[in-house]
Amino acid sequence: MKTTDKKNWEDNYQKFELRDADFTSISGRPLRPLYTGDDLSDFDADARLGFPGEFPYTRGVHPSMYRGRLWTMRQFAGMGTPEQTNLRYKFLLEKGQTGLSVAFDNPTLYGRDSDYALSVGEVGKTGVAVDTLADMERLFDGIPLDEVSTSMTINAPASWIFAMFLANAERRNIPLHKLRGTLQNDILKEYIAQKEWIFPPQPHIRLITDLMAFCADRVPQWNTISISGYHIREAGSTAAQELAFTLADGFTYVEHALRAGLDIDDFAPRLSFFFNAHLDFFEEIAKLRAARRIWARHMKDKYKAKNPRSWLCRFHVQTAGCSLTAQQPEINIVRTALEGLAGVLGGCQSLHTNSMDEALALPSEKAVEIALRTQQIIAYESGAANVIDPLGGSFYVETLTNEMEEEAERYFQKIEALGGVVPAIEQGFFQREITRAAYEYQMALSRKRKILVGVNEFANENQKLDIPILEIDEEVERDQIRRLNRVKQDRDQDAVRSRLQALERAAAATENLIPYLLDCARVYATLGEISEALIKIFGEYREQAFY
Amino acid sequence: MRPNRHVVRSISPQLWEEFFRGSRLACARLITKVENDLELIPEIRDRLIPQRKGAVRVGITGPPGVGKSTVAAGLARRAVKDGHSVGIIAVDPTSPFTGGAFLGDRVRMQSLMGDDRVFIRSLASRDGHGGLSPATPHVAEVLDAFGMDRIFIETVGVGQAELDVVTCADLILLVLQPGTGDVIQTLKAGITEAADLFLVNKADLPGTESLLEALGFLFEISAHRHVHTRPPILTASAVKDEGLDGVYSETERLIERLIQSGQYQDKKRQQMEREIRESLQQMLWDRFAAMTNAPEEIRILCERLIKNGQSPYPFIQAMDSNVRMELVNQRAGNENDG
Amino acid sequence: MIDPNRKGEEVAGPKIKVIIAKPGLDGHDRGAKVVARALVEAGMEVVYLGLQQTPESIVNAAVEEDADVIGLSILSGAHMTHFRRVRELMETSGLGDRLLTGGGIIPTRDQEKLKAIGIGKVFGPGDDLREIVEYIQQWHRSRSG
Repeated sequence: MKTTDKKNWEDNYQKFELRDADFTSISGRPLRPLYTGDDLSDFDADARLGFPGEFPYTRGVHPSMYRGRLWTMRQFAGMGTPEQTNLRYKFLLEKGQTGLSVAFDNPTLYGRDSDYALSVGEVGKTGVAVDTLADMERLFDGIPLDEVSTSMTINAPASWIFAMFLANAERRNIPLHKLRGTLQNDILKEYIAQKEWIFPPQPHIRLITDLMAFCADRVPQWNTISISGYHIREAGSTAAQELAFTLADGFTYVEHALRAGLDIDDFAPRLSFFFNAHLDFFEEIAKLRAARRIWARHMKDKYKAKNPRSWLCRFHVQTAGCSLTAQQPEINIVRTALEGLAGVLGGCQSLHTNSMDEALALPSEKAVEIALRTQQIIAYESGAANVIDPLGGSFYVETLTNEMEEEAERYFQKIEALGGVVPAIEQGFFQREITRAAYEYQMALSRKRKILVGVNEFANENQKLDIPILEIDEEVERDQIRRLNRVKQDRDQDAVRSRLQALERAAAATENLIPYLLDCARVYATLGEISEALIKIFGEYREQAFY
Repeated sequence: MRPNRHVVRSISPQLWEEFFRGSRLACARLITKVENDLELIPEIRDRLIPQRKGAVRVGITGPPGVGKSTVAAGLARRAVKDGHSVGIIAVDPTSPFTGGAFLGDRVRMQSLMGDDRVFIRSLASRDGHGGLSPATPHVAEVLDAFGMDRIFIETVGVGQAELDVVTCADLILLVLQPGTGDVIQTLKAGITEAADLFLVNKADLPGTESLLEALGFLFEISAHRHVHTRPPILTASAVKDEGLDGVYSETERLIERLIQSGQYQDKKRQQMEREIRESLQQMLWDRFAAMTNAPEEIRILCERLIKNGQSPYPFIQAMDSNVRMELVNQRAGNENDG
Repeated sequence: MIDPNRKGEEVAGPKIKVIIAKPGLDGHDRGAKVVARALVEAGMEVVYLGLQQTPESIVNAAVEEDADVIGLSILSGAHMTHFRRVRELMETSGLGDRLLTGGGIIPTRDQEKLKAIGIGKVFGPGDDLREIVEYIQQWHRSRSG
């Protein structure tokens, strides 16, 4: 491209009045009006772009990507009782969903039983309640666990929920090595964003490395951790923060696993990631491509992993819940479609598209169906799956990918200067960055420098909600507690007591806790009882309020 | 120039009654009045001083992030178990630009919630210039009269906070944490001399040994080392609740000594002297300013003085004469009336 | 230290005191943090209680802090339970004249029900921060005026 041509265009561009808008990404990144080859003049495409399925994987983790196999359409679901959820799973599998994803209720996420003091009013509201192995049995009744892959979105008590899942598989004579799926199990992002913790960081990290070691041996097809950026983004971070903080968490887990004596090529291939797909289309695609490149580089060059599978940043994407509006909820279908497309063009391995009423309550059947159909239209009608990394080579997208990589590296340096991720958490570094970004975005909306259609612009007067909203019956809580009491009555109390004690002893020592958790699960110890036993040894965590 | 007439505000008898009957809300409302209305301070002090039970005020200070709130909560819990009633005053800085404040210290004190023998109050530093809220000593008096016999005052550790707390508290606990090397350099001059007890919190982190060494060295070279005994230096990990038993018993021992030696009475006397002195100073200034429209006059004058390169002392001395003359006239006037 | 300029009402004068808390087991505090910040920027004193609060701990704090306003952030669906209980406790603790407001994911139907039991306006995602600030300031003005 001749310099004079560009200068010519620039001169012409200046002649025109611009719209009164901030030409920045939703994260506040300033953008040029046009990107050209000049922006990539010293870009080494061979080294930094490469080919799909080859280091540094910028163009995709697999040589054939969606030509070989489409991404997994995995819609997150869970509500009320295990029976209701079980029915929803069968409904979704019938409609063409290819993997199951379990959402748990708040008490379960915090490792508490349905009859715990703080659980009042929360049981079954945001997902399914699981108190014991009996609930697992009901949840997966009639579902072929050796044929479907199951993703469980749970963190603080992930290991003992997983123990119940394994105990259930045992009861149904399904060999553990056939089980496929993912546990979210990412405690670092809890301290940073989602705030579902029980103990201080160290014991939680120990449980994570214990699980990695156990699964490498006994449940080899299981992804033991889904290092998440989704929640960090939902908490209000920018795209670059989501990228940097997530990968920094990933590096931290790798370091801890190495310190625990695990071989990097034994556990790294099973690490997977979970990103957000937000509204700013191109920024999201660039972010995902940058993630692959950064992870591959660090794993190969810094951590010296030998197995190419260890260099892969495989990820699940969920469209941004925080981008959905309660006002004019039908238009959320459009937002979700664009975000889903960004996830696909960014090369995700699995995708969850939000339902339009997600801003209001747990999604209705109709809304869930539309969300699934959205993915199917992207896959079968839009053509996005026909060509691998179709935006590769775009001046804009490649420049953006480079910029995001550089920003992430700068964050890594800051975090290291603070002593690493855990010290940075204790000093409130992440929390402050995120709150500031969230506040600035909210103020930008207030000042209409950023627009949210239907909310601060193009709003309808007196909008009312016409969507059929799924409401959870208060009876669900009472019912769940009744069942819990029955299980507690019928089980072998002595066995429960002795196994909990064995767990406490092992926790105070340095043994791998997973077998002990399995023992407790098998005899119907409750989630809360296991948590209490571990709290005795590990203590409870209370966060400082950072401003 | 005569001062303007204004409505004299007062505390309602009903509020006093509820307070002395033990209503926590009344105590809280009285604290609010103390914070907001300087005019009510004399009435409140008049009523409360006779009711004073002799609470001991323990100031907890130190750089941000060292764990002061957690330490305060841990000590408070032990004090309650030991039979005391505990007040906690947690001070956080007011934003000089917006006037607002983020008061987040209660978060670390969850374990104390619901206990009737504990009263926690968050204060914004308001115009205390980033240090203590000027109302802090008065709030401590309210809590004292309400029945709290141990009052922990937790400061934010920036601005003048460490030094303010020295005048307000009877005992100072300085909390530090290892790892940030030159932490001692960052402490305000005077605070290390004023502290009665040093606590290295988060002692499980690396750097504890070198911090303890540095503190030891500080005392070696301190000018006071021959006059005062070296204050105790303890370690703890408040978040794990480790080491706080030792801190608590040491604090109680120091309190005991304070009272036995008569130092506690001395401090009370000093605090009162200070209160009188500062109130008089403020009152005199307020009167003077009202009489002479001083702030405005001074501003205009200074513009002129700077421009012409002149000294302010002729003005200062002229004002002094004016005040003396005014007083002489008033005395003369009184004698004539009398 | 003498303050030459006691007319610094901005910094020294009475402030609106607001408790911000999240009852129950819900860790999504983006909204609570952002609203807290907006209120502080508007000159209010915000006592941030954070997560895992019970209605009892919230009202206890409101009593000790003599709070004008209690703001609850609830995204878990348990809003009816929590708002009702906090309102009850406010009445029995002598805080019946203070404002109970909040935000989260609260369907219109439930918003009506809340208004009927004496709870102020509640806000949802997408509501303008400045509106929330003004609502509280307006309430405070009409109360002290």
